[in-house]
Amino acid sequence: MEVKQFIGGIHVPHHKGFSEHKAIKEASLPTEIIVPLVQHAGVPNQPLVQVGDKVKAGQMIGATDKFVSAPVHASLSGTVTAIEPRLCFTGEMIQSIVIAVDKDQEKLQLADVDLDSITREEAVKAVREAGIVGMGGAAFPTAVKLSPPPDKKIDALLINGCECEPYLTCDHRIMLEQPEKMLRGVRLLMDMLGVKQAYVCIEDNKLDAIEAVRQKNKDPQIVIMKMPTKYPQGSEKHLVKAVLDREIPSGGLPFDVGTLIQNVGTCVAVYEAIRHRKPLIERVVSVTGQNIRNPQNLLVKIGTPLSHLIAECGGITEQPAKVVVGGPMTGKAQHNLDAPAVKGTTGVVVLPPELALEDMEYVDCVRCCKCVEHCPMILYPNQISIYCEAGMVKEAAEWNTLDCIECGICAYVCPSKRPIVQMVQTTKPLIRQLQTAKK
Amino acid sequence: MSTTDKLVFSSSPHLKDRGTVSTAMRDVFIALMPVTAAAIYFFRMYAVFTIVVALVTAVLTELLFRKVMNKKPSLNDWSALLTGLFVALLFSATAAWWTVAIATFIAVGIAKELMGGLGWNLFNPALFGRVAVILLAPWLAYVNGWFAPLAVNFGPVHALTQATPLAMLQSGSLDLPSLGRLFVGFPAGALSEVSPMLLLIGAAYLFYRGHINWRIPTAILGTVVVLTAIMGQNPVYQISTGGIMIGAFFMATDWVTSPFTGRGKLIFGVAIGVLIVAFRMGLAPTEGVAFSILIMNAFVPLIDRKTARPQFGNVRKAVAVQ
Repeated sequence: MEVKQFIGGIHVPHHKGFSEHKAIKEASLPTEIIVPLVQHAGVPNQPLVQVGDKVKAGQMIGATDKFVSAPVHASLSGTVTAIEPRLCFTGEMIQSIVIAVDKDQEKLQLADVDLDSITREEAVKAVREAGIVGMGGAAFPTAVKLSPPPDKKIDALLINGCECEPYLTCDHRIMLEQPEKMLRGVRLLMDMLGVKQAYVCIEDNKLDAIEAVRQKNKDPQIVIMKMPTKYPQGSEKHLVKAVLDREIPSGGLPFDVGTLIQNVGTCVAVYEAIRHRKPLIERVVSVTGQNIRNPQNLLVKIGTPLSHLIAECGGITEQPAKVVVGGPMTGKAQHNLDAPAVKGTTGVVVLPPELALEDMEYVDCVRCCKCVEHCPMILYPNQISIYCEAGMVKEAAEWNTLDCIECGICAYVCPSKRPIVQMVQTTKPLIRQLQTAKK
Repeated sequence: MSTTDKLVFSSSPHLKDRGTVSTAMRDVFIALMPVTAAAIYFFRMYAVFTIVVALVTAVLTELLFRKVMNKKPSLNDWSALLTGLFVALLFSATAAWWTVAIATFIAVGIAKELMGGLGWNLFNPALFGRVAVILLAPWLAYVNGWFAPLAVNFGPVHALTQATPLAMLQSGSLDLPSLGRLFVGFPAGALSEVSPMLLLIGAAYLFYRGHINWRIPTAILGTVVVLTAIMGQNPVYQISTGGIMIGAFFMATDWVTSPFTGRGKLIFGVAIGVLIVAFRMGLAPTEGVAFSILIMNAFVPLIDRKTARPQFGNVRKAVAVQ
């Protein structure tokens, strides 16, 4: 099947070599885990335990009855020592359950559910109770995605294995090491949605993963797509455009064009949740970069502090360093290593001194158009940055600032070194305020 | 961990391309070196002196204006030096040095710094300065009187006395040099007009470095070729003479003063081409290229607004699913 090229985009150096050949390894036990009550896009959970309570690995410790949400579980057995706001990787303080981890951990009890006899409703419920969220970074509750409004008919499921962010290799390793589990997850997702066609999309800088998944795939309704390597190929809107040649309308969602996207890690989690009733208490995190002694793909218990992961990989080699949670194009830099790895943590990238740049001094836009040439949303980041900088919210809105996906390409190419993404991030809430004020 | 207090913090993206405004400006400066060398070869000390006057004036003007306007000096962005070099290259070697200095002062001080500095100027500063001294000619006649005792003379250089090929072309002179000679190097006219070939080499470097886009030069040259061919002229002579080469590749492609949309660049280039031909066919005897580009500079904001593409997702209806 032919893949369409989207307009814009750019080839960023991959830097995937640090960890792409490292098999997934289970991380050692941390002494403390921090489980934030919100790890998803949606309504916060309420704690189900109290300080002093003993909790078991896999036990649900936070939930809410609101629809757009996903419960959280204790990823290890131990004692609740605090329920208090703790630093999150985003820099916010988020209400979290802190657990002192027991030295002796018993093996997680896995159920064995017959997949043939399970109904659609039961399957979706299992996904919901397992607290599964999109594991590509956006962390939208998966069960909500699996319950689209009845007027939205879905005819194609896209599985996102592009992993277009530089450095990150967690999805690559999952496809390489667990292609069967992943494909079974894809089938389950298709059945839950009643979809007859799925596309597993993998960038062509991961030929071994494409081969591994192709070999294991016996399902004629699942097509493995080799995608051109171009950032941001893994962006939902651009993946849908490339594979299905459908354009998600401005402000719309994938199901507005009859499709749904799931990350490869999510597929594995969905399979384990339905088959084994296993909650989402661990995930693969790429701890990588030029500036970490021993880059690895670690299977990490949710809530493990970043400091533990960095230590596990031999520590930072050179100062000053920059530690980024997520990929380097869209990820968040950390002031310290106190924040925990959560469900949406794809990687921890440690950049060396020469790349550990602070926000640079920037100059005025010289209208070189490099941002215009590469913007995958076909925006005019040059104009947007000028209006955002001047606080001209109305004009920023007219130049479609709200459509920006904050992929970072404009700021990457800008010779004036303008922090365009940051400007957009501060202006977007102001535009929304302006729009609600008008209504 | 004791190391964590040294973590560097910033907003995303955490990878940045190496290119800066300074390296880009420096690259344009480098791209102008071949033709500058040719100008110096032909006109000797006259060219050197003109260029030095422009560069020194440019630097001093920028320092003065930024001091007065209480801004940090920005000499390291190379834009003042580049504007100075451009102004020098737009003059002939015989131009009085004070005229060059006044043009440079206007270019850097008024057309660039007073407009808000690099990035905010509507008009190409060098062209603005060059054209300003033409329009100010009646006033400059007085000035010439004051400065006349300070005129410099470096002795006779044969090249100085030649008529320009464009003038020969227009007057139908028989001395018109062969096309090959004209293309490789012929000493007449402004410093930048001595060698279309060396300008093209410089332009190729800019393409290679990704600083200029094919749209504007192609649109200008294409339009001039087509229009002059229709009028029964030799189009290759037309584009090899006068300021078309430096105009199309170096002036009209100026980031700040050209449209930022792809279609806008084409419209801008075609319009400049049409104006150049109109000027050559009778509107004005000289500096047609400079006037054409400046006129179109004024339309850039309008062109940008009218040619902006709709953003991704600007679709009327969602795709119907069978």
